[in-house]
Amino acid sequence: MTVRNVAIVGTGQTHHARRRKDVTQVGLAREAVTRALVDAGLTMDDIDSVVVCSGPVLFAAVNQPEKWLVDAIGARLKPVVRVTSGGGTGLAGALAAVNQIRGGFAERVLVVAYDKLSEGALQYSISTLYDPFWGREFAVGIMGFAAAYWRARMDNLGHTEEAAAMVSVKNHKNALLNPYAHVKKEISVEDVLNSRPLCWPIKLLDVPPISDGACAVVLASEDAAKSSPDPAWIRGMAYYSEAENVANRSMVQSEPLMIAAQRVYQQAGITNPRRQCDVVEVQEPYTCFELSYYEGLGLCPPGGAAQLIASGATQMDGDIPVNPSGGCMGANPIGATALIRLAEIAQQVRGRAGAHQIPDARVGLMQAGGGWANLRGVAVVSNTKG
Amino acid sequence: MATNTLNRVAVVASAQTLLRDAWTELQHVDLIASAVDSALRGSGLRMQDVDVIIDCGSDVLDGRSISNCGFLGAMGAHHKEESRVEEDGLFGAIYGTTKIASGSASVALIIAYSKPSESDVSAYYSTLTEPFYQRALGLDHLSAAGLMASQYLTMTDADEAALLHIAAESWRKVACNRWVELPEIPTSADIQASPRVADPLHRLQIARPVDGAVAVILATEQVAWRLTDRPVWVTGMGAAMDSHFLADRLPGELEAARAAGKMATKRAGITDITSIDLAEISASSAATEAMVVEALGFAAVGHAVDCYSENAAVSINPSGGALPADPIMATGLVRLHEASARLAGRLGDESATRAIVHGAGGLGMQNHCVFTLEV
Repeated sequence: MTVRNVAIVGTGQTHHARRRKDVTQVGLAREAVTRALVDAGLTMDDIDSVVVCSGPVLFAAVNQPEKWLVDAIGARLKPVVRVTSGGGTGLAGALAAVNQIRGGFAERVLVVAYDKLSEGALQYSISTLYDPFWGREFAVGIMGFAAAYWRARMDNLGHTEEAAAMVSVKNHKNALLNPYAHVKKEISVEDVLNSRPLCWPIKLLDVPPISDGACAVVLASEDAAKSSPDPAWIRGMAYYSEAENVANRSMVQSEPLMIAAQRVYQQAGITNPRRQCDVVEVQEPYTCFELSYYEGLGLCPPGGAAQLIASGATQMDGDIPVNPSGGCMGANPIGATALIRLAEIAQQVRGRAGAHQIPDARVGLMQAGGGWANLRGVAVVSNTKG
Repeated sequence: MATNTLNRVAVVASAQTLLRDAWTELQHVDLIASAVDSALRGSGLRMQDVDVIIDCGSDVLDGRSISNCGFLGAMGAHHKEESRVEEDGLFGAIYGTTKIASGSASVALIIAYSKPSESDVSAYYSTLTEPFYQRALGLDHLSAAGLMASQYLTMTDADEAALLHIAAESWRKVACNRWVELPEIPTSADIQASPRVADPLHRLQIARPVDGAVAVILATEQVAWRLTDRPVWVTGMGAAMDSHFLADRLPGELEAARAAGKMATKRAGITDITSIDLAEISASSAATEAMVVEALGFAAVGHAVDCYSENAAVSINPSGGALPADPIMATGLVRLHEASARLAGRLGDESATRAIVHGAGGLGMQNHCVFTLEV
């Protein structure tokens, strides 16, 4: 049987900031919702169902915050549910929304993702990810874990500190063009290499900021999308997991990412992502992850990421631009970042990306993930149904 | 052109662990693995056949961020599509059902669990409130239940005797439920003699938190007919969330439960509520149970107690419901397991053919979810 087509018909973001003192969490989310509805030319009356996404509740110390959000966005007496998946939650939520539409539960679904990280103890909260008996005594936050990953890839795949520094330089530069980004500074490879080591090989400029911010996306069925002048069609979307305690888990290539990418390319009819995709947005919690995603997404062969970034192919004017929005380097409200990546590629294929628009972008690819790098999702959108 | 042909979805297997005050000797992963293993065993399905896993649990109750991450192995989610719906398990079943209905998956495993014995239930509920107005009041599940019961008694014809009867019936019925470890079954007099913890409610009229896990397997029609000659079809689903602020909600009624119920019965094409044989309802207290019964249309407002008489058309909570055993986050999915087991004839009686299942989440049951089932 044919799976129903689903499109993104509106997106909205807040102007992200290190600390938004002027709004509450739900006020922040409401800003993004209002913008997405305006972008879609719709009101809350047109929305059948709402999916809320945010980081782990410890981040902002409100349990099940969608219960508070319902009034702020005018969703009372509608279906409202929260999907959580660490940093990838925005994409996991979008996938839940796509399924609600494909499964006949709703015609138009609003997905809203946000985090107000200025209100919680971030690395403390992340540390509680680990098993209370076996993991917590030596695990501190997520950085040591990420550094170990990178170190392994350095030896096996040549993901050097210089290559990662180029990712930071590129994304910082791109963020200068993004009106919603709050980190706006031009940096050099030397700046990154000389920045303060936090957990070697991770240095200060390999790390994205901590942000307050929200993003909202309106998804619609094919019928409901008819009123939209420029829908971005979901051509493929998947979100896969890897059990944390599998002894043979690869530290080198992300298996759930490769599975998700393979699945999505199959759905979207993509056989050569480097050639067939016009623009890519990835969620890079540290620079080294962007290198890893190049390989996991098949933009280059395993071990080819350092070469790819050095070649300039992933720059704004390259043949496969990655993170023209600046990615997480420009803003990183964790619970919202995955949905921001999806919104960004949707705006690209709709021709609405503004100053960081990639000319003639038709097919967009995005990646997001969460947990301890064990939850990985991929999506492809395009300006045609396929 | 969008096709409107959706796959029919059936509940093909389900299982739960024993629900008990405290599973001190088992961890979360043990409870989850036990429920999943029991659901698969004898179902004709193996873990390899499961396309997608949706799980429902609470980071706050688990004392762990992104707690699903730590439990993926126990769920069997390795290299599978998995998502956490941080709400009562029945909302997870909505996700699984849409996934199958859409044609994107053939078999979905829905898991819900909790170990409130390891947590502070009052803190779990009070941290649900926004931090500016309600949290400062110290509202929790007990005060919310008491306030809602007071409103119910004030606004409607119902009286305290009705609430006593409803609670006594729950405890009487749960005595036959082999999946709940029970203290001595209280009589109506015992209930009345239990401490009045949230005026007008006595302790034994308020849902008792228990530890446990439940797993439900959903499948396409094609798969279902290969596994059983009596598939339990999902005919309708609905959900609705009420206002966050208790004072903003309609006193004495559950508008969101009514909206969710209408959405589900409309989709199922059910016009006559008396065609439903049994209802499995999640409730925080005897009063909110009555309010759900009324919101679903089984009785006029204030008259739910009539559904608890011998000659009532519908059997309310034949399992005993949520008052004697409330595995927070799993309660609604346990109701789905109970109702589908009964419809499938797994409890030795094939007389029931239509059921309605209700789950809820939030302080004072802010969020509601309803399924209609049919064999």
